[in-house]
Amino acid sequence: MGNDAFEITINLIKLVAVFLLIVQAVPILVWVERRGSAFIQNRFGPNRVGPLGLLQLLADAVKFLTKEDFAPDKAIKPLFYAAPVFALIPAALAFAAIPLSVPLEIGGYVFRIQGYEMNVGIVFILGVSGLAAYTILMAGWGSGSKFSLLGALRASAQVISYELALGLSIVGVIMMYGTFNLTEMITAQQGAMKFHAFGYEITSRFLPNWGIFYQPLAAILFFAASFAESNRLPFDLAEGEAEIVAGFHTEYGGFKMLMFFIGEYGHMILGSSLMIVFFFGGYGLPGITVDEVRSWAAGVTDGAAGASVLTTLIHFLSFTVKLVLFLWIFIWVRWTLPRFRYDQLMDLGWRTMLPWALGNTILTALVIYFTSVLI
Amino acid sequence: MITDVLMFWFLALVVLGSGLAVILFTNPVYSALSLVMAMVGVAAVFVTLGAYFIAGVQLIVYAGAVMVLFVMVLMLFDLKRETHSFAAGKISGALKLISVGLFAGLVVGGIVMSQGYFVKENEKSLGAASATQSVNTVAGSQTNLNVVNTDNTKVLGTVLFSKHVFGFEALGVLLTVIAVGTVALARSKGGTHAKH
Repeated sequence: MGNDAFEITINLIKLVAVFLLIVQAVPILVWVERRGSAFIQNRFGPNRVGPLGLLQLLADAVKFLTKEDFAPDKAIKPLFYAAPVFALIPAALAFAAIPLSVPLEIGGYVFRIQGYEMNVGIVFILGVSGLAAYTILMAGWGSGSKFSLLGALRASAQVISYELALGLSIVGVIMMYGTFNLTEMITAQQGAMKFHAFGYEITSRFLPNWGIFYQPLAAILFFAASFAESNRLPFDLAEGEAEIVAGFHTEYGGFKMLMFFIGEYGHMILGSSLMIVFFFGGYGLPGITVDEVRSWAAGVTDGAAGASVLTTLIHFLSFTVKLVLFLWIFIWVRWTLPRFRYDQLMDLGWRTMLPWALGNTILTALVIYFTSVLI
Repeated sequence: MITDVLMFWFLALVVLGSGLAVILFTNPVYSALSLVMAMVGVAAVFVTLGAYFIAGVQLIVYAGAVMVLFVMVLMLFDLKRETHSFAAGKISGALKLISVGLFAGLVVGGIVMSQGYFVKENEKSLGAASATQSVNTVAGSQTNLNVVNTDNTKVLGTVLFSKHVFGFEALGVLLTVIAVGTVALARSKGGTHAKH
């Protein structure tokens, strides 16, 4: 936690701040989603309230907050009310374990720009985000309605199926970096491309040392699986409006439904962040190491604290830019591709992505064993 | 130190409380959800012990995969009759009382034994020695924790794939046999498309 009261306080505030980061990103994402979808479909989208329709979010929030809070007669009340609250937890907990920037060093204190450092980062994130299936099941069963239950079963079956492909697709990445720790992974991806194979050192000045160049198949599989994990189109069988009204949150309205929304966007942010950490160098700038940035910052500012703040800010900005790009891809895909049929979904998960992920794992192991590749 | 103690008692309460709830709820869905809670609590206890990898695996395998299937299947059943027969009746009531008694005995026994009331004098000094030793190692690992997070994943992997490799592989074969056997049993009577 920390060595004195100040450090402990800052670390506790950090935990809250990480959660607020997700919650605050949601209205902006909703706006981008609605405007973006409108542009993709040659419409205008919300453009009446405030500049560019930005205040529409405020109006929506007020609407959500002032709606009547009701539960259906046949609902199982404890589960019905608990489910939306639990929906916020998995994504927020997992996101807190992701390093967002280089640690801040001020006056003898070292503050990590992440909720908490976990040595087994990936295992923890996979474990916690796997719990999201329960919130869906609780909501679906607790609503006491057929559509909700059907939607919940669809959603949780999908989440479990794709969790396998998701977990297996990053085994190759873990083997390559030889660590579970996200910070160590990002450190391994710094600078220009450089690796050892067959006893030679191979370098490239034009490509950054990012995971996507070593594990392209894993990147594709992971990205597809994270779409399924966050229940978004083309994998949003959980909602399938034409078939089961709105899936597991059919009976929810007002702020309770907004909490499911925040959970879904939380998973989107989590998937994008993991994608960045595993395959796109984390907070690192492409081709430039943290030390190079730090020495540049030391030349521009006076004092070690100022340089540290500048370095941290630059890397945080780098992470944010990457995150925004990936979130846009999430939205872009949602409004471009149609929905899968359920048998296609299961076929893709079990008979296409799982064997490919297994194959990638075996191939990576063989390559590492025979060519002694080191990054 | 005080936070460690508070954490332990809180987690112990959560795990034991949800464990008790598993057998006391009449609705199987609630029981299954309580079991999930207990498993998450056990994972948190692993974290406080510094076994991060085991905690993560506990979450992924038990809480994330096994119990989701349990809960899913339970939610599909029409459980009115089962709930009724489970909630009423003298035999099931007696069974519940017995299990609560056994459970309470276990808890009390665990607490009493950890205080060392039923230990003979010579064992007591032995236990005290090992206790101080373990406290020392814990303190050592605590100071380690602040420098670098202790990594026991590599140690675990090395042990699993060298010393216990036969047991590990045998368990894998056993699980495969179970999976194949379940499918074979389910299909032997025609499976889901059987004509009654």
